[in-house]
Amino acid sequence: MFKAKRRTVVTLAAVPAALLAGALVVTLTQGNTKASGVSYINGNTNEIVYAEGHRALAPDFTATSLTGTPISLASYRGKVVVLNFWGSWCNPCRSEAPTLAVLDEQYGPKGVSFLGDDVGDTTANALAFTRSAGITYPSVNDAGYSVVQKFGQVVPLNDTPTTVVIDRTGHIAGLVIGAVSYQAMATILRNVVTT
Amino acid sequence: MTDVHTPQSPGAEADAAASFGDKEAGLAGSSGGATGGPPAAEAGSTAGWLRWLWRQLTSMRTALVLLFLLALGSVPGSVLPQQGADPGGVQQYFASHPALAPWLNRLGLFNVFAAPWFAAIYLLLFASLVGCVVPRTFRLAGSARTPPPRAPRYLRRLPHSASYPSALSPDAAVAAAASMLGGRRFRLRRAQAADSGHWVSAEKGYLREAGNLLFHLALLGVLVSIALGGLFGYKADKLLVEGQQFANTPAALDEFHPGRLVSGSDLAPFSLTLNSFSASYYTSGDSRGQPSNFQANVTYTASPGASPATYHIRINDPLPVDSTKVYLIGHGYAPVFQVTTARGQVVYDEATPFIPANTGTLLSDGVVKVSESSPSQLGFMGVFVPTAVSVGGTLESAFPAADNPVVSLIAYSCKLCMNSAVPQSVYQLNTAGMQKLTATPHVLFPGQSWSLPGGNGKITFVGVKQWVSLAITYDPGQVPALVCGILALGGLLLSFLVRRRRVFVRAEPAAGGGSLVTVGGLARTDASGGFEDEFASLAAELLTVDASAAAAPGETKREPNNQSEAGA
Repeated sequence: MFKAKRRTVVTLAAVPAALLAGALVVTLTQGNTKASGVSYINGNTNEIVYAEGHRALAPDFTATSLTGTPISLASYRGKVVVLNFWGSWCNPCRSEAPTLAVLDEQYGPKGVSFLGDDVGDTTANALAFTRSAGITYPSVNDAGYSVVQKFGQVVPLNDTPTTVVIDRTGHIAGLVIGAVSYQAMATILRNVVTT
Repeated sequence: MTDVHTPQSPGAEADAAASFGDKEAGLAGSSGGATGGPPAAEAGSTAGWLRWLWRQLTSMRTALVLLFLLALGSVPGSVLPQQGADPGGVQQYFASHPALAPWLNRLGLFNVFAAPWFAAIYLLLFASLVGCVVPRTFRLAGSARTPPPRAPRYLRRLPHSASYPSALSPDAAVAAAASMLGGRRFRLRRAQAADSGHWVSAEKGYLREAGNLLFHLALLGVLVSIALGGLFGYKADKLLVEGQQFANTPAALDEFHPGRLVSGSDLAPFSLTLNSFSASYYTSGDSRGQPSNFQANVTYTASPGASPATYHIRINDPLPVDSTKVYLIGHGYAPVFQVTTARGQVVYDEATPFIPANTGTLLSDGVVKVSESSPSQLGFMGVFVPTAVSVGGTLESAFPAADNPVVSLIAYSCKLCMNSAVPQSVYQLNTAGMQKLTATPHVLFPGQSWSLPGGNGKITFVGVKQWVSLAITYDPGQVPALVCGILALGGLLLSFLVRRRRVFVRAEPAAGGGSLVTVGGLARTDASGGFEDEFASLAAELLTVDASAAAAPGETKREPNNQSEAGA
C-alpha cells in the first residue's frame, strides 16, 4: 500500500514535470536559434551576414533567362554574385528595383555580378517591368520556384523578395529578406568584395 | 477485503460506462477522500491547495466541462469565416459588419484555432487528461494482476448461490470444482494451509481490465499523436493555373501554416505542374449545374532530379508525395489577357485568376493590374461569365461550364498609383485616385480586343484557362492517431462487453458423510445481464463434475477422509 502511494506521488510529480519540460523544449527550440557565425545588421533579423567559415554552399542551377539564353550559377564562380529573387507582381520587389539598379552600377566595376531570379511570373510581364525599371542585368525564368526550392534548403528563403549575396568561392555570405536597403547591401558587399 | 461480499456501490458500477468513471473514487480513496470541497481539513497549506487544484483539474467533471468548452469554442470557427481558410470571407464580414467585426476580431473569433483562449482550453484539457490517465493506468495495471479474493464465509449471501450435497470429502469436492473452473480458464485461488475451511475462489474477465488499460494507453497515444501533428506538421494552400508549375517551398505557397518545429527546409521537396483541369456538371434534371466530377491532371517530381510522374487528383483522392498529401479544394477560371501599348509593346500577358462570386454558376470577379503600361498605369475590374445569357440587359451566367465565356471590364487609369512598396492582394484593386476610362463596362468575347481611349493601347481577351486551389498537408500524427483511435475503441468495447465475475466454492463436511458444497457467484458489473444464466449452468456443471468424480474408481478414501474431517 505504501509502495502504491509513493508511486502515485511520483506520477503526480512526473506528469507536470514532463509537461513543463516539453513546453521548455518547444520554447527554446522556437526562439533563439541563431547559429554561430550569423550576425544581423543593426539587429534586423531580416538582414543577415554569415561570417567566413560559416557560409553554406550556394546550390548550383542552370536555367533559361527571360530573353532565352541559358545561365548557370557555376559560370559565375570567382565572382561575387548578388542573386535577387523577385516577381513583377510583388510590390516590394518593384520598390527595391531602383536600389538594385544603383548597386549594380556602383559594384559592377568592382567585380560584382547581379542576377535576378524571376518567380511566379510570366515572361511578358517580367520583361515589361525590367524595361521600365531600368534593370539591365539578366534574370532567369523561375516561374515554378525550383531555384527558390534549392536555395530554401540552405538559407531561410521564405518570402519574395529575398536577396542573396554569394562570395567568390560560391558560398552564401549574406541574405536580405524583403526589399533591400542600400545600407544593408553595402554592408554585406563590403565584406566580400575586398576579400 | 470485505468489499467482495457486498454488492458494489452504484458509483463503481458506472465504471464500465464511463472512461474515467471510477477515477474520482480511486483518487479519493488514495488521498483521504477530500475530492468534494476545498482542502479546509488539509491544514490549509500551499501544498494542500495545490493538491486540491490538481485533483479538481484532473477530475472527470473538469475534463467533461473542458471537452464541452472545446466543442463550443470551435462553433464560431465553423460559423464565422476564418482567417486561415477564407481570408476573403473575413474581409467581406468586416465590410458588411463594420461595428461588430472589430470586436469579434479582438476576441480572436476570426482565427479561433489560434486564439489564446482556445489554446488555454485544449492545454488544460490535455493536462487534465494526462493527469487522469497516467495514474489510472497504473491502477488498472495493478488491478489486472490482482489474484481473486478469498472466498467469503457465507456464500448464500451473494447475489447468486447454489448448493449441493457431495459424496466427496470437502477437500476432494473443492479440488474437483477447482479443476473444472480452471478448465474454464478461471483464475483460481485455493485455500492455504493457514486458512480455515475448504474453498476455492475463481475469477474471470480480466480482459475487461486489459481493455480498460488499452483504452487509456491508446487515449494517451491519441494525445501524443495530435501533439506530433501540431509540432511537426504543416498546412499550405496554392492556387495554380493550367500550365503553371510550383515547388513546395514556403515562398511559392499562398498560405503556409507550419507547425511549431517546422522550418522551410523541412518541406517535402516536390514540384508539381497542373497540366489540365476538368470539371463535369449535370446537364439536366433537378441537379442541373451541380458538379459531377472534378479532376486535376498533374505531373510531379518527388524531389529535384527525380523522374516525373503523373496523377489525377480528385476530390477525396489526394496526391500522396513523401507522406505529404496534395488535395484539390477549389477551382475557378483564369481569363487570359494581353495588354499592348499604343506602340505595340506587350506590357501584360497573363492568365489572371478570377474568384467565383457565385459558386453555383461560377460568375467570377477579378482584377487586372497593368503597372508597366504607358502613358498611364491601367487597372481593370472584371466580371467573368462562363455561360453568358442576357437577362434584361444584364449579363448572367446560366451554367458553370465555360460554354459561352464573356468578360465584362471596367477600365481605370492613373499615374504611378500602383507603386506602393506595401504588399497588396493581387485580387483587389484600390481605385482611389484612379479615373474611369469609360462610363460603362465593356464586354469582350474570347479573341476580341478593346482599344482603350486616351492612347492607352488595347486589351485583348485571349482565352480562358482554369485554376485549381490545392491544399498541401503533412500530419505525421495522422496515422498514429487513427491506430490509437481504433485501439481505444477496441479497448472500450472489451471493457464494455467483458464482465468481471467471481465464483466461490466452499465445502463443509456433512453430518452423514460426504460434504455440503455451496457455490456463490458475483458479477462485478452486470448491467447487460447474463451472469445469472452463466452461473446456473456453471453450478449445474459443478454438480455433474462432482458426481462423476465421486463415481470414478479410485475414489475410495472418502470414508476415512470424512471421518478425520469430522473429527478435526
